[in-house]
Amino acid sequence: MGKRTDGEPKPPAYMNELAQKLDSSFDVAQVPLVIKGKEAHLFYLKTVVDSDKLQSIIIKPFFELATITHFEAYLNSLPNKTEIPPTEELLIELTRGFLLVAIQNKFIFLELRKVHTDTVQETLMESTIHGPQFAFSEDLSTNLNIIRQNYHGTSLAMNTYQLNDRSNRMVAILYDEASVNKNVLRIIKKKIRALKVPLIQSSGDLGVFLTRRKYTLFPTTILSERPDRIIYNITGGKVIIMVDGSPQSIIAPVTFFDYMVSMEDNYHTYWVSLFGTLLGYFGLFTCLLLPSIYVVVTSYNPEIMRTELALTVTGSRIGVPYTSFIEVLFMLVFMELLTEASIRLPKAVSATATTVGGLILGTAATEAALASNIMIILVAAVAISTFVIPINELSFSLRISRLLLILFTSLFGLNGLIVGFLFLIMLLTNKESFGEPYFKFFHMPKKDEKKVTNE
Amino acid sequence: MNRFIYYLILVNMFANIVSTAPKVLLRHTTDGAIPAMVLGLIAGLLYTQVFIKFFNHFPGQNLPELLKSYTPKWYYYPTLSFFIIMWYLAGTLTLVTFTFMLATFLTPEMAIITMIIPYLMIISYGILMKSKNLLYATEVIFLLFLPIPFLTFSKAYFSSHLNWDVVKVAMMHSNTLPNFSSFTASFFTFAGISNLVIFNQYFTKKMKFGLKQVLIVGSISFIALFTTYFMPIGFSGFEHISSLLYPWISTTDSVRMKFGLIERLVFIFLLYFVVIAILSMTIHWHVSARLIQSIFHSNKLKVKNIDLIPFIIIIIFSSIAIFFSLTMTEYNLYKFASVVYNIMPLFFSLFLITMWLIMRGAKHEKS
Repeated sequence: MGKRTDGEPKPPAYMNELAQKLDSSFDVAQVPLVIKGKEAHLFYLKTVVDSDKLQSIIIKPFFELATITHFEAYLNSLPNKTEIPPTEELLIELTRGFLLVAIQNKFIFLELRKVHTDTVQETLMESTIHGPQFAFSEDLSTNLNIIRQNYHGTSLAMNTYQLNDRSNRMVAILYDEASVNKNVLRIIKKKIRALKVPLIQSSGDLGVFLTRRKYTLFPTTILSERPDRIIYNITGGKVIIMVDGSPQSIIAPVTFFDYMVSMEDNYHTYWVSLFGTLLGYFGLFTCLLLPSIYVVVTSYNPEIMRTELALTVTGSRIGVPYTSFIEVLFMLVFMELLTEASIRLPKAVSATATTVGGLILGTAATEAALASNIMIILVAAVAISTFVIPINELSFSLRISRLLLILFTSLFGLNGLIVGFLFLIMLLTNKESFGEPYFKFFHMPKKDEKKVTNE
Repeated sequence: MNRFIYYLILVNMFANIVSTAPKVLLRHTTDGAIPAMVLGLIAGLLYTQVFIKFFNHFPGQNLPELLKSYTPKWYYYPTLSFFIIMWYLAGTLTLVTFTFMLATFLTPEMAIITMIIPYLMIISYGILMKSKNLLYATEVIFLLFLPIPFLTFSKAYFSSHLNWDVVKVAMMHSNTLPNFSSFTASFFTFAGISNLVIFNQYFTKKMKFGLKQVLIVGSISFIALFTTYFMPIGFSGFEHISSLLYPWISTTDSVRMKFGLIERLVFIFLLYFVVIAILSMTIHWHVSARLIQSIFHSNKLKVKNIDLIPFIIIIIFSSIAIFFSLTMTEYNLYKFASVVYNIMPLFFSLFLITMWLIMRGAKHEKS
């Protein structure tokens, strides 16, 4: 508490020091509260503190309570009071919406955040018919609340970290103490602490930074917006990372097969969900292999197909003036452009894009003899089957792998297709997700697995 | 027994059963192929048994480590070099054989070099992979394509063109003395277990090779050998079967799938054969490369913490393989295969000596 001169209350020296450090911010507020022998000082940033709460929780009681000791006792009993951290952290906390109160040389630190992003959104990316229809919000504490409300196990652990980048975002790590893979947890915590990047804005880029390799095609974490998927994975012993300001959470470690699971599968009878899963895998193979198979059976080995089919395929290509792989690339590139355009475009314009694109990829291309009829069907089938894959991070990677396979096939024919396919499998098996094998059959219970192979 | 050991045995077995083994076997239909096969089967099972017993004494250790710690230098350098060459030749044999086979049946217009480059690319990647991950890849690929041999075999067995009378005629020649090269060819189908020399470092649990496991491996290999020998005879006749260059391709080409998208079974079969052959080659070259790496490792050959030795190995391996595939003829290849097969007993005896030396060394160390 500053010395009292001429009845004008002076803020404590520490607050002045803080104000100096936050000099560049216009919204710093240093408010003295003075009435009849009672005196307190508030220090906060106007833009991040909820002024209604400030008024009702702090300012009103100050004038109502009899003595300053009453007021202090009242503040100390508030649920949003926290310990005072060291100055550096305190400054960051202030920018988060904390309030520093000074009463008679004592400081009290309270949380009065105003958040506009805590509304829960509907699921956009992974929609299901059954199951929860709401996703997460963009506010970390709301998201943690959603998890807690869905998972009441006492062994659920939540650790929060502050990132070392410029944004100083909060990151939460969630896991079930009882079933978590300790090794993975250790690796993840170590990596988050060791992160040295200038800026992290969402779970998407955090997930990318957490993978060790720079040049990698397949993702090693899943981004999910579904609370039920998160809970499902926590129960399975996985680690969840949530970033403040991002409606998606990171699931780690993952295996390739996790990308092929739709939450819908859990809400149906056995055969229905099996059918769904099989459709997913069929889509996977179709979108990956179909264009290359087309190149093989038109340009390299038409004799593989039965005669009638080979004739149909060749007949449909009559008049197409270039080789099959140019045809495939031509159509696929336009399909990719169309997909990309409909993701990027504002919603108002995207309808136009699909109409125009439909014309290009539709009958006009065939009538102009730029592509065969079968090619049109094939491109449509490929596009649809790409969207069947439940987690679209994988389908993004598959779009590129598909081009790789076409390249191999165009150069080396059927050999190239087989080699390219096996190469993809080897690439996947040679990957690791946080020390766990990425692509392998028979994920046995942990104990057994260690007996088989341990490094 | 660990499931990965089955894959190691079976991949090698299936790869051999379609490539050179039937060619060698069917050359000696009248002078001792059948008894040689029986002997080869028994010897192969025995070989597997001995191998697993030996490595059970040293769980989690590979052969180079064992050799280094228990045998003198003058012994382990030449022995390891011999093993390296054997593994390399086994892989190269498969590579050249099936490049030739595909050049004949699938892409006759394509240059040999264009055919061999993609294989070399994928095998090179296999050399760079971690051994453990290669095991996983083997499992995935083996299981993914497993329906194909079932389809082929069942289609062949239930085909109306299969003449069992000819098969019976062929069986009449069982009471002859066994033929040596037929014996080694059928024995070679069991060589897959040898890959444990490197992969044993991932098997830390004791492996059991009791009656059940012997029966599983034995019955699979019996069916495989029976099929590989009698199916071509059943389809193509007994008299001139030895003049067929690729008896198995001709056999599968006799089977037609009336209602399938792909009418000729041979293409599905070729697909499977390519896959299995790539796996087998990758494993062989991988083991060979790891053995080389166990001899040569220096810190000088490192750029930005990346070991250059595997890349040098890849370049040398590939150049030799390209040279072989460009200069060899079908006849040379047959001779080459017979030589590789005939070295097998020598290889096996050398292995026995090595095992004995290591066991002795280990005992000395204990006492």
